[in-house]
Amino acid sequence: MKELMTLCFPLGSDKMTTVRLATGGLAALAGLGLDESEDCKVCVTESLLLLMHRGFSAARLTFFLDGGLYVRVAGEGAGNADGAEEDEISFALLSALADSVETAQKDGKLAEISFRFGEKA
Amino acid sequence: MNETELFAKYRQTRDEKLRNEIVERYFHVAEILAKKFVGRGVEYDDLLQIASLALIKGVERFDETMGVKFSTYITPTIAGEIKNYFRDRSRLVHLPRRVVELKSAARRAAEEIAAETGKQPSVGEIAQRLGVDEEELIRAVEAGSVVSLDRPAGEEENGSFYDMIPAASDDFERLEQRDEVAAALATLTGDERKMVNLRFGEELSQSETAKRMGVSQMYISRMERRVLQKLRENLKKSMA
Repeated sequence: MKELMTLCFPLGSDKMTTVRLATGGLAALAGLGLDESEDCKVCVTESLLLLMHRGFSAARLTFFLDGGLYVRVAGEGAGNADGAEEDEISFALLSALADSVETAQKDGKLAEISFRFGEKA
Repeated sequence: MNETELFAKYRQTRDEKLRNEIVERYFHVAEILAKKFVGRGVEYDDLLQIASLALIKGVERFDETMGVKFSTYITPTIAGEIKNYFRDRSRLVHLPRRVVELKSAARRAAEEIAAETGKQPSVGEIAQRLGVDEEELIRAVEAGSVVSLDRPAGEEENGSFYDMIPAASDDFERLEQRDEVAAALATLTGDERKMVNLRFGEELSQSETAKRMGVSQMYISRMERRVLQKLRENLKKSMA
């Protein structure tokens, strides 16, 4: 699995457009189609929202190339909030759009979301 | 009433009022999801409409005994419907952007000229205002929107457009068609036959045909439309 790029940034809704833009470019590099690329952007945004709702102050977003595009979104700082009511929709949306979704916890709370688009090499 | 009780009651009664109540309670899910798909060339209102229909379908199908929350169930259903819509939309045959732009520019120019002069402008005047060739303008204006092959072919006929597409023809069929075309062409005037020969035999443009025949391109355009209509009617009669 080849690492394409890592973005580290403070979490905030004002960063979403820039992150979506970068995701679109990397999805194109990975050879995803237009629809997949748009879905990937939605998944990145949803993952960041999930982390924001859990109180993380920053995020580390890593893109890997492995035939398709594998994205890992990890929270940084203390994730000490319980999440929001609409998180359930975000999780369901991630599962509906991405080819596979995994989550990892830290101290019993969600701290990382990974998903893939496209075939694994 | 909690979610499980609400859906259990609806499954028993199928009461429309209760269904509407459920739809209203979960309408925010449709709104949230529609917003998430904005920016892909479809208006938010259209997305909301698709999401709302999917929500209603989901309410009809949801089985509360499956142990899944309704919002978990309905999210992929709505997302799926929206994605299907994007897929279907991208399969449609679209007119080239240049044609679409020219078509709307022509409409605007015609209105402007009419407002300035108080009379309907000619094709030439519109073409001049837009700085395009008359033939190009006519083609753009006549370019229609997408038509379904399943649409009925005519008011009286039962068949669809699809039924009218010929199968791969064999030589006998071609021979038969040639006789019918020859008979139909015989009904045309000398000028009309000459025009058909230049336009469809030599495959010249309307402007080139007009030059060869010493008439205006508009004249050829009108003649072409009239001749095609005449040929269509004659062929229809001969095949009946």
